[in-house]
Order: sequence, then structure tokens, then C-alpha cells
Amino acid sequence: MKYDVVVVGGGPAGSVTARFAAEAGAKVLIVDRRPEIGIPVLCGEGISQRIDGWGMLEGTDWIASKMDGAKIFSPDDTLVTLSKEMAGNETGYVVYRDRFDKELARQAGKAGAKLLLRTEAVGLKKKGGKITGVEVRQDNDSFFIDADIVVAADGVESQIGKWAGIKTTLKPNDLETCFQYTLSNVDYESDYCEFYLGEKRAPGGYIWSFPKGNGMFNVGIGILASLSTPGLPKKLIDQFIQKHPTYKNGTPIRVLSGAVPVAKPIETVADNLLLVGDSARHSDPITGGGLTTSLEGGKIAGEIIGQAVEKQQFNIEILQPYETGWKKTFGQKLLRNYLVKEIMLDFDDKTLNMLADSLKNYKFEEFSTLSLVKALVLKHPTLLMKLKPLMKLSEKKGK
Amino acid sequence: MVNPKAYVNKEICLSCGGCVSVCPQNAIQLKNMIAFVNASKCNSCKICVNTCPVAAISLKEV
Repeated sequence: MKYDVVVVGGGPAGSVTARFAAEAGAKVLIVDRRPEIGIPVLCGEGISQRIDGWGMLEGTDWIASKMDGAKIFSPDDTLVTLSKEMAGNETGYVVYRDRFDKELARQAGKAGAKLLLRTEAVGLKKKGGKITGVEVRQDNDSFFIDADIVVAADGVESQIGKWAGIKTTLKPNDLETCFQYTLSNVDYESDYCEFYLGEKRAPGGYIWSFPKGNGMFNVGIGILASLSTPGLPKKLIDQFIQKHPTYKNGTPIRVLSGAVPVAKPIETVADNLLLVGDSARHSDPITGGGLTTSLEGGKIAGEIIGQAVEKQQFNIEILQPYETGWKKTFGQKLLRNYLVKEIMLDFDDKTLNMLADSLKNYKFEEFSTLSLVKALVLKHPTLLMKLKPLMKLSEKKGK
Repeated sequence: MVNPKAYVNKEICLSCGGCVSVCPQNAIQLKNMIAFVNASKCNSCKICVNTCPVAAISLKEV
């Protein structure tokens, strides 16, 4: 079996890469170890409505609900509301990730990509040090799939990058360890996602609630692994739900654990190899969101692969435009948000409460950096010192 | 006396892959949607134990 490209992993990044590579004329195979695309769901299921303009998904059955803004609760429950009118704020969807992933895989197939389920990559095939495909296991068989390019779309636990010599191991302070309930029968209507902060609630992370409509909510927690102890995410989200006036009466219909990279960007290309999605650490270090970056990155990867196949050249120089492309599209933002994450880890609950108190009546509609700083500092002058590193960062960005 | 090694309770593991991503020895892989520790590679650092969101991993004498 010889393909131009073999994509390991049929999640969003893998399917979108496969689709755009196939549309550019490449012969593409996706392998996925699971028996069903999109299952199990390992995701909070929130995504920006920016995807509307990208034309990657047809239909609407993958949309659970629309979100009009965010409510952020500080450690002492001071509420800051970010409505959709807020400049720069994005509205979002809550999606059914299983349907979302299936639709993206369907689009890949429609573009001509083949898909093998229950087929697990167990190693890279190499010839004279050069990657020439992957070794896979399917039921009791092992065999090789030859390909000029291997795409690692194998998620947070990615092995493929490691097999190719790329350092993808995450430090515990670059990973959020997560647990989430999907609750039904919640007697509460909301168009807002909610975020709850606090070092006791969620050390180095936050608790989220995404409304899925019909009384359903994804209520989950992420904790920075370096600040966690065995089972802490589950323990803290259980406590939170038990104390919450409405969530406590919900009926859990799904639980999941998760792991989200909140890391600095890494190398994502080598000779005959690309990394996409979570395996490329393409998730936002502040929010942990990784769907839009996976889709955007996958599209760039697919297009660059198409060019490489046309030229019949597959070395790192030919594939480098993928890395240049995603860095230009969202890499700078990921790096900046990584630095912001590092600074915010030093904010104690008192600082977060002061921030929220300064912002609770702030009109985000008239947002400007100067008015924001004024609002923050007039009420709580001591915030100036705390925010200095952040302001330095934004100055640097301006230059 | 052998160092205790990471051990995954298969009944508890929900297959999120967090332990795999942080293991500095690359001693853990997901097999059949369950984390599996290669004890000969494990250096008993406990990073996976603390990372597991559902407390499915502990150190055990092997």
C-alpha cells in the first residue's frame, strides 16, 4: 500500500489536514485506532463562531447551542460579564464533538481521503534514517503503510513526534489535567459560558460551564498538573457541583477526563513529517481551547502537503512553510498567551478579586487599553505593580 | 529492593492520555484505550501519579 500521505489520527486536525491535502490532489490515508470517529469525546466542546466563515463543516447537527458571551466569577464570586458587544469578544458554539469530528472526517472522505478504523500506528517505517511510512496494527495483523509524508495527528499523548526525534514531552506546568461532567435536567437557562477562578477552586486553571441547551451543561475543571495531586480534578469538580444551587440537581449523563497542553509552540516539521493539532501543542495556553487552531493549522498543513506532492519533494525545507504559516496565523498569539499564563500564575486570589472588582462595571463596549488600565488602577492602585509584567508584554508586542 | 513503579488501575483509567504526555521516560502508552506502564522504563518520578485526574495511578512494588 503506497500513499502520498498517511495521517495518524482522525480527530479535527487530522481530518482537516487530510481533506485539504486530498483536495490539492494528494493520495491520502487516515488511520485511527478507535472503532468510531469522535468517540470518546475528550473536550469541553466550546468553539468560536469564527468557524462560520471557514466552510469546513456542512449542516448544523453538530451544533448544540450558541453562546453570547462569558461570565467570569472571581474567587470571591465577583462577576465580570463579557457580552458579545464587547470589542474583540467572540461569540461561540457549544458543539457535539462526536458529530463535529464525524462531519470533518466525512468531508475528508468526500475530498478523496481513505479512512481505516481500528488501525493503530505502532512505529515509523524508516529507510536509511528517512521516514517512509508507518507500521500499523489492525486486529491481529501488523503491516506497513508506505507514504512520502506522515502526519502526526495523534493527540496530546502523541508518540509519532517522539519516534521522529522531536521533543514533545510536556512539563507538568505545561499541561492542564481535566475532568468534566455533562449534566442534564439542570433547571437553568443561559446563553453564557461561565468561568470560575480561584486557587482553591482550580489551582492554575479554572472551572467552566458550557450550556448545551435543553437543560444540559458541560461542567468541568482544569488544573495545572504541577499543582495537582492524584484525583484532584475530580474531587474539586465534585465539590463545586455539590455546592452549586442548580448544577447539584442535575443528572450526569457523561463523564470524561482530559489533558490539555498549555505549552510553548514546538517544532512541527521534519523531513517527511508534520505535527498538527494537540500533538503540535496547538492549543491556547490561557483558555486551553484548541479546536480553531487545529482547524486552521490542519488547513495550512494540507495545502503545504499538496504543494510538496506536486513537487515530489518532502524534506523539511519544502514542509517548513507549514510552520511559518501557522506561526503567522496563530503562533504569535499562542506564544503571547503562554507568557500571559506564566504571569497570571503569580496572581493570588486577592489580586484576582481586585481585578474583578475593578472590571465588574467596566463598559467593555468602549474598550481601549488606556481606559482599561485606568479602570483597573483607579480603584485598586496596588494592581499597577501586579499588572506591570502584562503591560510590558503588550508594549513589546506593539513594537 | 526495587523502586516501586507506576501502576495503572484499569478500572479507574478514563484514557485521557495526560500521563503519557508528561512521562519524562516515555514509559507510558495507551493500549486498548487504557494507560499501560512499561515498568522497565519507569523511573518512579510520580509525575504521572500527580497528573492523573481520577487517581488511577499509584506506585507499586513490582
